[in-house]
This record gives sequence, C-alpha cells and structure tokens, in this order.
Amino acid sequence: MRFIFFLFLTTFFLSKNSDAIQFESLETKNGIKFWLIEDKALPLVSISFSFKGGSILDPVGKSGVTSLMTSLLDEGTQNFTASEYRLFKRENGIKISFSTSKERIEGTFQVVKPRLQEGFYLLHESINKAKFPLNEIKKVKSQVEASIKIDNSNISTIASNKFNKFFFKDKLIGRNTKGSLETLVNISRDDIQSIYRSSFIKNRLVIGIAGDIEPNLAKKYVDYVFGDLPSKKFINPISMLEDLNKGMKIIEMKTPQTTVVFGQKGLGRKDKEYFAARVINYVLGGGGFQSRLYKEIREANGLVYSIYSYLLPYEYAGVIVGGFQTRNQNVGKTIEKVKTEWNRIKTEGITKIELQNAKTYYKGSFSRNFTSTLSIASLLMIVQYYDLGEDYFDKRDLIIDNLKLNELNNLAKNLFDSETLFFMIVGEPKI
Amino acid sequence: MKFVLLIFLSLYFSASLSNEQAPPHSFNLKNGMQVVVIKNKRAPVIAQMIWYNFGSGIEKTGKSGLAHFMEHLMFKGTRKFPDSYYSNYISKIGGSENAFTSYDYTAYYQVFPKSELKKMMKMEADRMTNLTLTKENVKIEKQVILEERFQRIESDPSSKLDESMRSILFPNHYYGRPIIGWRHEIEGLTYEDVLSFYKENYKPNNALLVLSGDVDLEKAKKLSKKYFGKIRKGKQESKLDKITDPDLNTNIFVKMQHSTVKQPIWKKFYRTTSYNSDVNNSIALDMGFKMVASGTSSLLYENLVEEKKIFSVVGGYFQGLTKGEGNVYLYAIPNEKKTSSEIDNIIMNEFKEIINKKLTPKRFEIEKKKYYFDTIYKKDGVLNPAQIYGEALTVGLTLDDIKKWQEKVNNISLNDVKKALEKLYENKNYVLGELLN
Repeated sequence: MRFIFFLFLTTFFLSKNSDAIQFESLETKNGIKFWLIEDKALPLVSISFSFKGGSILDPVGKSGVTSLMTSLLDEGTQNFTASEYRLFKRENGIKISFSTSKERIEGTFQVVKPRLQEGFYLLHESINKAKFPLNEIKKVKSQVEASIKIDNSNISTIASNKFNKFFFKDKLIGRNTKGSLETLVNISRDDIQSIYRSSFIKNRLVIGIAGDIEPNLAKKYVDYVFGDLPSKKFINPISMLEDLNKGMKIIEMKTPQTTVVFGQKGLGRKDKEYFAARVINYVLGGGGFQSRLYKEIREANGLVYSIYSYLLPYEYAGVIVGGFQTRNQNVGKTIEKVKTEWNRIKTEGITKIELQNAKTYYKGSFSRNFTSTLSIASLLMIVQYYDLGEDYFDKRDLIIDNLKLNELNNLAKNLFDSETLFFMIVGEPKI
Repeated sequence: MKFVLLIFLSLYFSASLSNEQAPPHSFNLKNGMQVVVIKNKRAPVIAQMIWYNFGSGIEKTGKSGLAHFMEHLMFKGTRKFPDSYYSNYISKIGGSENAFTSYDYTAYYQVFPKSELKKMMKMEADRMTNLTLTKENVKIEKQVILEERFQRIESDPSSKLDESMRSILFPNHYYGRPIIGWRHEIEGLTYEDVLSFYKENYKPNNALLVLSGDVDLEKAKKLSKKYFGKIRKGKQESKLDKITDPDLNTNIFVKMQHSTVKQPIWKKFYRTTSYNSDVNNSIALDMGFKMVASGTSSLLYENLVEEKKIFSVVGGYFQGLTKGEGNVYLYAIPNEKKTSSEIDNIIMNEFKEIINKKLTPKRFEIEKKKYYFDTIYKKDGVLNPAQIYGEALTVGLTLDDIKKWQEKVNNISLNDVKKALEKLYENKNYVLGELLN
C-alpha cells in the first residue's frame, strides 16, 4: 500500500473528566469556520459537513453527474486503489459517506479515537485526491443504473419521481438527483472531474464536529482535509419556485393499491416565517400520530396505513409535500379528505391548544438531538448551513414562545391553498 | 415510520456491547418481570423499551397477523388514559415512540426528556392490562392493517418473493408465516380473537423492561416496583413447543415474474444455526460471512464485482438472533442475463475458493478489529443499546453471554471461522429466488 503517515500529530491530551456539553465556534489558520462540541463520553469523533451546490448544478443533459461523482470518492484516490481504500476503512473502523441532494453535497465522517490519523488521511484523499479511474466509473454507473431500475420497479419511488417531474415546471429542479438511464450514458470522465473541481469549494463549506477531540487538534485536521480547497463566489440557483403545477395527473399501473404524492408552494428555510409554517404543518400532517391528516384519514376512517405532509425547504424557496397509499377504490375519497383538511387549516387555522402542544413538542424534542455524536454534529452543521446564528441554541425557545396564534393563523390563511395542490397519482385509481 | 414490521433484521448482534465500562444493572420484580438499566448521561434523555417475549410465533393456526394487529391496538387507550391520550402526551413533551412486531417478540419504545420517566412508566404499565378496546377500534384498525399489507407486500413484487421463499424454507416453523399475516386470515380476525390474545399474553412475566440513558437506578427500581410490580403475573410464560423443520431434500427455485419489475434480482435464503443454539459457532459464522459478503470490501464483492465484473452488486448477511433457526440471506444483480442456477454456481464456486485460499490470517485480524470498533459505535446513542440488550435477552441469551462477548470473539480462531463457512457451503436447506420481468 502506498501510504505515508504525516507528522504533525504528536501531542497527547489529558481527558478533562467532564460531561458538560460546550459548543465552541472555531476558525482554522486557513480561515475555515466550524463548530465543535467536545464530548469525551466515548472514544470516537463524528463530523457532519456540507458544500452548497448539489445536483441542481448538474449541467443540462448530464443530470446525475454530481451524485455519480460523490459515489466515486471511495473508488480510487492518489494513494489508494478502490479495494485498498475500502479495506483500510474497514480495518480502521472509519466511516465515510457522501450524499447529494438538490442544494448540497453532504458528508458524514466517523472515526474511533485510536485511528484519528488514519481516518482523516482517508477523508483527505477523497476530498482532494480522487482519481476517478475509468473502470470504476463503468462499475459505479452500472450500479446506479441498477438502482434506478429498482426505483422504477417500486411504486412509491415511481410516484415521487413522477411528482417531481410534473410538479416543478422548472425542469432543472424536477430532475432526479441520481439522473436517468439516458443522461447517465452521456456522462464522461471529464464531466465527473470538472464537477469534482467545482463542487468542493472552501467558502461553500459548513462543518459540525462532536466527540472526543480537542479544539486545536480539530482545527489542524479541518485544515488538513479542507484547507487547500479553492474559494469561489456562489449564488444559489434555486430562487422563487413560482411556477408549480396544480390539479392532478394519473399514471396507470397495474397494482392493488394506488400511491399518491401531493404538494403546493411552501417557504424557504431562511424565510422569517419558516418556523411558524413548520408548526402549522405539524398540526396538519407533520406530527406523526398527532396530525389532523393522520387522525381523520387513518385513525377515524382506516383509509391508509401512512399519511403525512412536510415542509421541503430550500434556502430561499420551498414546497409543502405530502403522500399516502390507499386501495384503488378509496383514492377519490381520500383525496377529498386531504383537501378538506387543507381548507380547514386555511379557514379555521389551528386552535390554541394545538399551538400549545406544538410548542411543547418543539421545545421538548430538541434534546433528542443530543443523544449521539453524529446527531450533535449534524445539528451543528445544519444551524450553520442556514445561518441561524451562534445564539440559536439560546434563542430557540424564545422563538417558539413568541409564536402568536393570530399570526400563525394569518400565515395559514395565506400559505395553504387546496386550489393550488397538485396530486400525482400512480396506480389504478377510482376517482 | 410508525409500526415497523421486522422482516429482515439488520441489527448485528456480533457488534454488541462488549467491553462495557459500566455494565447494565438488572433486577427482577416479584411477578417475574425483568428490568435492565443502561446508564448514559450525555443528554437528559431516556429511552424506555418494553419487550414482550412473543411475536407472530404465538398465533394459533388460522389466526396469522394477530400479534401485529394487537400491537396496533395497544395505542387505543385505557380507562385512565383514554383514546389517544398516550400518543398525545408523548408528542406534547417532545418525545418519540414506536413499536414493532417480529416472529419472536413484540416491542414498544419511547424516547423522552428524563423528567418524564415516572409518567412514561405509569402509562406503559397501565396499557399492559387496562386497554379498553371497542369493536369499532378493531374494525377500523383491521382496514389500516390491510392497507399496510398492500403497501408493504402486495404492491411490491420483491416482498412477495421474499414472503414466498420464507414459507417454503420454513414449511413447519412459524418463521414461514408472514408476521403481518396472510391477507385472508387478517380479514377473518375478530374482536374476540384480539381480546383473548391480549388477556392471555400481555403479562409481566412475559415482559422485559429496558431503560437506557440518563436514568437513576434507585428511581428506576422504585418506579418499576410501583407501576409494573403490582400487575399480577400470568399463569405461565408464553412458551411455545419447540418446532423444527425437516431437511428440504429437493432443489427449490422460486420465480416472481411481474410487469413492474425493471431490474432482475437473484436471492438465496438459508436456514442456519442461531446464537440461541450455539453462541460460538454463530459468532464464527457471523465473522466469516461478513468477510465473505458484507459490504463493498467483502471478498465476494472484490472478486465478482471488482475483478471478474460478473455482478454489479453482490452481498448478504447472517441473522442469528432468533429463538429457532437463524438464516443467511444472499443477493446479487448480474451485469448480463443469467439463470438462477448459473448465478448460484458462480457464487458457490467463489465461496469455496474464498474458504480455501482467500481467508488469510491478515484478513481475519482486520475483521476482528472491525468488530471491536463497531462495539464503540454501537454505544453512541440511547436507543441502540436498549435495542441490542432487549433483543438479545428476549430471544434467549443472557446478560452473562453479553458480558463475555468480547472474550468469546477473541477466542474465535480462523479455523473456527472456516469450519462455520464450510458448514454453510455444505448446507442444503436453502431456497433460490428470482425476481424477473
């Protein structure tokens, strides 16, 4: 194996026998800011990081290239072949994974303390030294192809892909992150390398770290992995999402149960009213066993096994999406019930008690984010990603307390509109 | 998602909580209920899991799906906490909850702020005996479960294939009967069936309570005595006669051909040993089979995907946390069209080659290290440890087994591993499956 250990890590740190959680905002020599919660409960470190960009930046006709590129980051680097890389990862208890979504590339990295050096070395290779060998590209393409075909055999993924295709009139947003069988063929090694170079940009990066690592050491490693990346101006291309479909579209498929995915315009994560909208949706379809959709459609009528709605926010714009599956003969009835609940939230809003319960839910549930180092790291990452502020953890309760019923119901009235809902229906529905 | 049905368990017990710095505390209540407390003070959060030692296996002939049906109905309220009070309350305090049914057990869990421990224990104990089910509840929930069956099985050719393969692999044992139940039998389940199932089986001597997180042992003792301790024990633990399956003796191919299938997939299910019947052999099989088939650094993947480029994907795992026999599951996606037996031959030849030549001492050392590192990751969280202990104890392992796990792992030799794999290689109790267009 071609593998050289690097030298700057010779310091040892005494463990500070303390389990108090402290969040520190740090900056490296190369100017990378990140947040850290040092936690010595277990000898491991978890990192969550993301780069703004994502599959929305895939060139026209090459959709899937960003996702393909991230799938190839462990398939051969300057100092490791694909097999060597994975064996090294296995041997040292290192976990590295990348995923591509519309607006960002996200990575998670975990390593046990005795193998910090090996772990960061491997992460450095992926971020800075990926080689994209032709034979590995061929292999991973065939895997992505198989995965697209499996998706195309499954009624839920068919419905959600078709929903994206027809709901977003903006063709770039409607594309499948994985790409399609047609676009995959068009993607060359040059395309992959060029998207690799343009994706990992220093000033688009946010990082959250939790676990048994001391701040100075964390700074050194962050610089080691990300410090040499270039900087480049970035404007998020997902803007207003004004042009969305409404009404319904049916795709016939032979199956005993129909799948329905529906949606309308929502709010961006940076919108001042985002949290308020989230609370309203919690009451409508977000709160698991609590939501009105669940109670009315599953609990009172037994029409579905699962039904939900959620806010899907991008940075500056967003949508509200929902879904259910029901026997073919009940499709029309269930859609009517969804519309009725949608209208009710618009015209009547939510009640005082519903608001109170939602508030205590959001306050109480926050501590569940702190149960594992990975969930802590993700939280630190996401708060930075959306610029929620260093004081977010202090002010979050206050933001919730300050939500006023009349303001919320005003928002509900303006935001929710069953007339603009679009229903994507896949199956043999009776409507 | 709510009410998860466990068809393929993905928890690997081998990556267990060995080497525990603070081992869990365990005590028994007078009515026979066991309580296990696992401390972890990172966040002011507690996970409560209650594990009943019966699952779909306990259903009488013709009543498949009853255990899972009952699990759904456990959320329907009691006199003290009527209707959806329970779920409403958990939600109000920012907690989360769920439940799942398997062949061998039924479990319920909640994760919540530590200040709520008392109330959560009180409510969990209450619904063990005080459910107030109405005929209407049962009627509506049956529709929900039929929708669930449509969603999970009937609309998914791959699941239908799995269901069919299992029913052939286990012609006699309840592992051959789907947890969710056969559709026609679900349709026939009645209010009376549900009620008598509840009264017979939901008893403290059939239950194990696991508390994990920021929990005080004395408080846990006091509260469990107060709420669970006062429940009268049942006549006897829900025990099943030990049923075993005959050797299959024939070559069995199951084919699922459906117009919606766009990607052919090859599968193979084996009946194997289990941790319950043989801990050491199962650890050896697990370690060995992980080297052979788990993930993209496994030997099968390296040889058949990377080098020979016959498959785009190949892999598998051993699931041995079972009261009866365990199973091994293998799958592959060929790059070019091949028959089921061609694929089987390729994989089995490679398997033999791996056992004879490629399982080197170095490779084995890597696997042992990985096992050890996995144990560290498994401790990171509050629910994970509760799940691992709960499942292991419920299928018949002991706390002592878990305590000595790392020792057992250390004592496994490469030779043990090879023997376990050779036995799998010779094993004729398997079913081949093909998903096709």
